[in-house]
Amino acid sequence: MKNLLSAFSALVAVGMLATSATAANLVLYTSQPNEDAQATVDGFMAANPDVKVDWVRDGTPKIMAKLMAEIEAGSPAADLLLIADTVTLERMKQAGQLMAYKSPEAVNYDASLYDADGAYYSTKLITTGIMYNTAAAMKPTSWADLAKPEAKGLVAMPSPLTSGAALIHAQTLAAVPSLGWDYYKALQANGAVAAGGNGAVLKSVASGEKAYGVVVDYMPIREKAKGAPVEFVFPTEGVSAVTEPVAILSTTKNAEAAKKFVDYVLSEKGQEGFLKLGYIPARNGMPVPEGFPARDTIKVLPIDAAAALKATEEDLKTFSGIFGTN
Amino acid sequence: MPHFLAKANSQPRWLFPFVVTFVACLCVLPLARLVGAGISSILSGKALALVLEPSVWSAAVNTLTTSFFGMIAAVLIGGLFALALTLADVRGKWLLSFLFMLPTMIPPQVQALAWVGMSGPSSPLLKALGIAPAMGSPQPLYSVGGIALLYGVQHAPLVYLSLRAGLLALPRDGIEAAKLAGASPFRVLKDIILPLSLPGIIAGAAIAFVSGVGNFGIPAILGLPAQIYTLPTLIYSRLASFGGNTFGDIAVLSAMIGLMAVAGLQIQERALRGRDYRVIGLSGASATFRLGRWRPALEAFLWLLLFVMLIAPMAALVSASLVPAYGVVLSLKTASFSAYEEILFRQTVTRTAFGNSIFLAGTTALGLLVIGVLAGYTLTRGASRWTGLLSAMIEIPYALPGIVISVAFVLVFAAPLPFLGVTIYGTIWIILAAYFASFLAVGLKPVVSALRQLDPALEEAARLSGAGFYRRLFDIIVPLIAPAAGASVILVFLISCNELTVSALLWSAGTQTLGVAIYNLDDSGSYDLASALSVLVVLMVVVLMLLLELMAARLPKGVVPWRN
Repeated sequence: MKNLLSAFSALVAVGMLATSATAANLVLYTSQPNEDAQATVDGFMAANPDVKVDWVRDGTPKIMAKLMAEIEAGSPAADLLLIADTVTLERMKQAGQLMAYKSPEAVNYDASLYDADGAYYSTKLITTGIMYNTAAAMKPTSWADLAKPEAKGLVAMPSPLTSGAALIHAQTLAAVPSLGWDYYKALQANGAVAAGGNGAVLKSVASGEKAYGVVVDYMPIREKAKGAPVEFVFPTEGVSAVTEPVAILSTTKNAEAAKKFVDYVLSEKGQEGFLKLGYIPARNGMPVPEGFPARDTIKVLPIDAAAALKATEEDLKTFSGIFGTN
Repeated sequence: MPHFLAKANSQPRWLFPFVVTFVACLCVLPLARLVGAGISSILSGKALALVLEPSVWSAAVNTLTTSFFGMIAAVLIGGLFALALTLADVRGKWLLSFLFMLPTMIPPQVQALAWVGMSGPSSPLLKALGIAPAMGSPQPLYSVGGIALLYGVQHAPLVYLSLRAGLLALPRDGIEAAKLAGASPFRVLKDIILPLSLPGIIAGAAIAFVSGVGNFGIPAILGLPAQIYTLPTLIYSRLASFGGNTFGDIAVLSAMIGLMAVAGLQIQERALRGRDYRVIGLSGASATFRLGRWRPALEAFLWLLLFVMLIAPMAALVSASLVPAYGVVLSLKTASFSAYEEILFRQTVTRTAFGNSIFLAGTTALGLLVIGVLAGYTLTRGASRWTGLLSAMIEIPYALPGIVISVAFVLVFAAPLPFLGVTIYGTIWIILAAYFASFLAVGLKPVVSALRQLDPALEEAARLSGAGFYRRLFDIIVPLIAPAAGASVILVFLISCNELTVSALLWSAGTQTLGVAIYNLDDSGSYDLASALSVLVVLMVVVLMLLLELMAARLPKGVVPWRN
């Protein structure tokens, strides 16, 4: 019994030590896939050995809900955000939840890629196009192809309720006159499913559950290099794009370390890390990863950020109405 | 003299109040808060609006349907195994029963992942064998039927254990007499064995039903991709998309789960009423039926069932963890350990999760052991008329699904603690507290049964010789119940290490458990990493179960659940 008691107290002590040791200097909330989030954090910690970063990964809307619940309870755990789109961060900036920081690295970025007050900085360019399994009967070249009878019941796409990129994508296509919400209705009528995030779509198409997927570019291009039977297409109408911005929360208790993190992901070294993972870096003068066409040949569809910000709730409802998600 | 008397008194004065306070704080307070939140939601009319939402309706119906059909499947599978392994002269009983117990010890989300890997067009296993269905054909498990089937597999061992206990107590002479009178084996089964073992079947069915109502791991993996919600997954997704009245909503939803569980147990009470059979004569019927030429057929059938229930899904899990990239056909040449490399050496979340789960499980197991010995002592030796109430208080959280407990803890601890001003919401301590409440009854049972077997004369002799409470505790009681206590530690450790339902709602940055890590990996599309981590967890479960098996010879009867 005495041994047990001492074992018990030792365990509790170890637990306290462990929690204080894992009580990282920085907590990052990110929507990057697990492997990429780990690689980003590892790269930063190698460059800044005195800062320890803990991270949590989920789809942008989900991790934002978690953060909002924590802000409501009065104790947001995160210091930093690295999430899909600037629209979400613009909303947080207007609510006063972000810290303004003028990073010295900003001079290497196009002024359209960061907030003038320094509330957030884009880190990469992620487009959403079409992937297909090489065993599929049709080689799609345009968005319209996915609504054709050949693709009936074979299309998977991420849900805007899970993925930030998917929300921007839906808002972008909805604003294209030849597509619009009618396009989404046609997709639904064609048996397309919208569930989960981009990772789920990748898995579903690569493993042959579905034949065609609406997905972010780097996932299928990277999987193809690993030997998966997939191809990625930039559709003729153009692609939607998000820029995965980084931002510091105004409630951070470790602003200096958080600023170091922002500087790191914007630095040449940080951007090279993204390049190696298969992302198009946002920084000027960087090449594109293997398997991508030259950057100026990618046709990016425009999005009105201010309008998107205002219409977010409405658009989510429209989407859920069409696909019956909740 | 008075001093001496006080010292050698039956138990110290603090013991009973301590145990009651502990149990009240962990078991009664959170549930009272839940009931309070539910009532205020009903009074404000929000509960009614919520219950009338179509999504809540369909989730409630799904919960009942899946649990009901899951119960039927569990009774059929568990009943067959219990009858065959207890009454028939089947060979290899030990291995059969050990393997049959595994599905209930494997975390439900791992079970679901394994079955997904075994079926549908994307199965790496079927692809490697070249028999995968065509692209675009639906995954059959992403359905109400699929969820019910997995409940059946997961909970069949519970029916098995409950029925087996009844079968072992059957009067052998009754069966012998019927056989001598010329009754056919079928007749004996139908007219003697089944009626007498009905209470065991009913109790097992009730446990299976209640476990299904509260299951989160299976409908989360199988239901969410197809937009099929049950009440536990609805609570999870409501909490994940935090909105205005989230806390009130989840209180009402979890109260609905609680009501379903209680209703299930009530029906069981009803069904058992008037079936309180006392059997006299020799019990312990073993190998009553000689199967003769039917034996190979039955054995083959049992092994076939085990193959489908356990071996094939686990093979699918292993093959999914070895695939180098999605969609690559697995062969000796393409197999790769990169998923294990990533999960073991690069992902910090794995280390965090293993650390957290082992810390939580270890602290819960050892802490509950201390509490269990004290509470068990109070329950068995205490003469207070409150002991009945205490025992009921301990049983409440055990009977309620884990998701209800977690919601209750969220409600109590979302605000800072009174007086201290610190908030434990979002820390590992809230998960620990919820584990203590959820698994108290599991840890207590072996200890209480060992204490009941203990002859009070030993302790009384020591007391007469002037030994104080602590002296008696450490020198007499603890050494004698040590084997049972050891088993309770391993059981609680095993269950809490694999737990997902409670931690899925309570985790935060840095406090992920193994269950949460596996679920999140799969949720983000990293099926290979989720499979690799699952394989490691299954290995851990098997090792712990073998450890219990090794200890089994020194334990009181009935402590290791799957032993004779």
